[in-house]
Amino acid sequence: MRIELSKGITLQSGTFNAVIAPEKVIVAAINSHADLQRFLFLFVCGNYSRLLSGINRTSGNFEIRRAFTAHQLFTIVKEASHTIVFVEHDPTMFDGAEKMIIPVSGALKDVGREALVILYTPSMDRPFSALMRSADRVFQITAPDGSMDRPQRSARSYRIGGPLPPAQTTLEVS
Amino acid sequence: MWILDSAYRGGVDLWVRDGAVTKIRHDYDPPFYLYLPDPHPHHDMIGTLESEYHAGECTFTTIFGELSGYRVFAGRSVAEAIEQQTNYEAQLFNVDVRIDQRFMAEHGIFPCGAEHESRFSPDISYNLRRFEISIRGNPSLSAAFTDIDVTHERCERLHGRERNVLADLFSLVTACDPDVILMPDADTWMPKLQKQARAHGLEMPFSRTGKYRRMDARSYWSYGRVEHKESALIPDGRILIDTEKSFVYREGGLAGVLMAARLSGLPPNLTSRFTPGTLISSYEVYEAVRRGIVVPFRKSDAEKVRRFAELRAADRGGMMFQPAPGIYGDVDEIDFTSLYPSIIVQANLSPETIEHPERQGFLPAVLDPLLGLRIRTKQLKKSDPRYAGIDSILKWMLVTCFGYTGYKNAKFGRIEVHEGITGRSRDILMRTKDIAEAMGFCVLHGIVDCLWVQGSPIEALKAHIEQTTRLLTEIEHFDWIVFLPQNDGSGAYNRYYGRLSDGSVKVRGIAARRHDTPEYIRAMQRDMLTVMASTATIADVGKAKDLVKAIYRHAVQNLPYAHAQDLAINRRISRLTYTHRCIEGAAVKEYQKRGVAVAPGAKISYVVRDARKYAIDPAWSAGSFDVRYYRELLDKAWGEISYAFMSEKPSLNCVGRDNRSINTIH
Repeated sequence: MRIELSKGITLQSGTFNAVIAPEKVIVAAINSHADLQRFLFLFVCGNYSRLLSGINRTSGNFEIRRAFTAHQLFTIVKEASHTIVFVEHDPTMFDGAEKMIIPVSGALKDVGREALVILYTPSMDRPFSALMRSADRVFQITAPDGSMDRPQRSARSYRIGGPLPPAQTTLEVS
Repeated sequence: MWILDSAYRGGVDLWVRDGAVTKIRHDYDPPFYLYLPDPHPHHDMIGTLESEYHAGECTFTTIFGELSGYRVFAGRSVAEAIEQQTNYEAQLFNVDVRIDQRFMAEHGIFPCGAEHESRFSPDISYNLRRFEISIRGNPSLSAAFTDIDVTHERCERLHGRERNVLADLFSLVTACDPDVILMPDADTWMPKLQKQARAHGLEMPFSRTGKYRRMDARSYWSYGRVEHKESALIPDGRILIDTEKSFVYREGGLAGVLMAARLSGLPPNLTSRFTPGTLISSYEVYEAVRRGIVVPFRKSDAEKVRRFAELRAADRGGMMFQPAPGIYGDVDEIDFTSLYPSIIVQANLSPETIEHPERQGFLPAVLDPLLGLRIRTKQLKKSDPRYAGIDSILKWMLVTCFGYTGYKNAKFGRIEVHEGITGRSRDILMRTKDIAEAMGFCVLHGIVDCLWVQGSPIEALKAHIEQTTRLLTEIEHFDWIVFLPQNDGSGAYNRYYGRLSDGSVKVRGIAARRHDTPEYIRAMQRDMLTVMASTATIADVGKAKDLVKAIYRHAVQNLPYAHAQDLAINRRISRLTYTHRCIEGAAVKEYQKRGVAVAPGAKISYVVRDARKYAIDPAWSAGSFDVRYYRELLDKAWGEISYAFMSEKPSLNCVGRDNRSINTIH
């Protein structure tokens, strides 16, 4: 089983791949491959997915599990028995749980011995660079105009100066 | 035994007030619990735990059922080593429960209540000696203590050389021996006080043992924004409350702080510094331990596998009906009392009941008495304002209990429970709207747990809704209400104001309510609303236009002569570095330039001197301001009020308002 991520870049089963690419490239890859409908696909993300709303999949083979902590991500990856396991990286999961980076990375590698594992981020950050150390292949794809997506906001990057997502404005009790 | 304070220092120290305050020490060294799905590969490790840490086989109860495992008499470092050695197969429990809290929960005792009292009684009997300290100066800048106001049995001002002032203050504290010290900005002042006391060779007497526990500073996320909590020095055996920064004290007063302690099993020194979210989480932990349920160390039980369509259907948040902007007369707001916690209790929603709905869930069981207490205090505060503070704290704890079901650090949360709650709330609001419309009411607006309707008889509608939903509601009658527009002209969901039937004005989302509005502008809008509050009908609102406009003109004319401090903008900063030039970034830089430490989540107060040049001054040193910039803010605030006059022709019916949209929020 193979996926052509971008022209000339093919991912195949039995590998753990780390991919840094603009969101639209990844969303297009997931949406456009009719072949993927035939395989059991697990999409793993955190609380706020940047990709999920753009994915147009109705196949019953496309399954989702969300992890809010690094421990939950570890459990999900270990329990995965899908042909394709796609993990949308969320650095906030590792805030205060840096010790989990190595076990999660190891679990991705283990699952990638039989499945096709894709660990995806739109931009590099410290947890991602540690997670991808055990990857079989690392791909960095830039947009046609050469740009990358804006850095993914982690709780850490907020602390050091990243912008905020819109605050919840409805929590006003009387 | 009325417990004033508690701490763990190798044993549990309880500070008990029984006339005098005495410390009672209890030897207590509780184990944590370990479960291994397959213990055989780990027999070496188990052997070591048995010999080194007195581990022994046992059974224990989780919210999901009983497990056979081990009790281990060791601390967190051993627990973390077990996790690593078992490659995170081990499940650990009761590792990070506060030991003094656990001691009290296991022994059925709690802070701030006599033995015969119920934790869930709305009445708190306490006879605590209070002492108030107000240090003059800016806590971010001042390092000298030369002017201090104190209030105990009388008010005194201590003024003079620093050593004398501090010596006098310390003598007074020692002589009065208070149980509670109330001090604005205590957490900022205390490290400086301690430093200066040492420099002068004085002993700071706030702690009853001379020792202080330190809480570290941290920035954290709360409802989509960064908050900052300063470090704190916490005295032993005495309650010290930072009256300026304590959310719980601000909302609930001393009674609220004590009630939070009683419910959560934490000492008041902590409950006054914790958020409502931490309080509800601590309350759940206390209840779990009290009921013999172990508390998981890690949140590793992930969401079950979902299909795409299933997730899209489930994860839609709360329901809203968008209002048509305008002014409306005789409107009733129907508000469900503690809707989300009521749904948890009524629908038996808990992590373990997702797969086994027939079981009594842990969350509903522990929230039920809290909800009952809230319903009682809400009733009591109508006739006795002393209950308002306690009611406010309960309200906030119950508000956050919903969010915690989906929060990553919640010990007893799970996203499916979160979705189950919002799913049911959507059904309830839709059903309520259908009932109202079937009874001939016009639904103007709806947001999650509130509905605004026109029609009568409202009591009949209330009764019908309560009977159908089995949920309690409250009604507020507006003589008139203004729903403001968004930038695109459609109705804003959470920006409105109106006159209630008791003559007061309820405002949401406008300048008078916003925390960052300068006082000068807030005062202008408040004055306008006071005038409008005297008008009982839409027609009368229209007649007040000239009077209200005169307030605006007066504010515009006097703006150049306003005090700069009245134009201070108070903001909570979200970051320290800004990619684009902006006023807030300039304010942060100015604070840093003047040697004031700021962190994401901290509050700053500044005055804009020249907006075009991004020139700002911290509020304490501001002397001039950019009139043009503040005129814009003033006009914006006026626009919110003048909208009532622009749309004074009332929109009285809902027929033809089919363009009203229905949305969901997260």
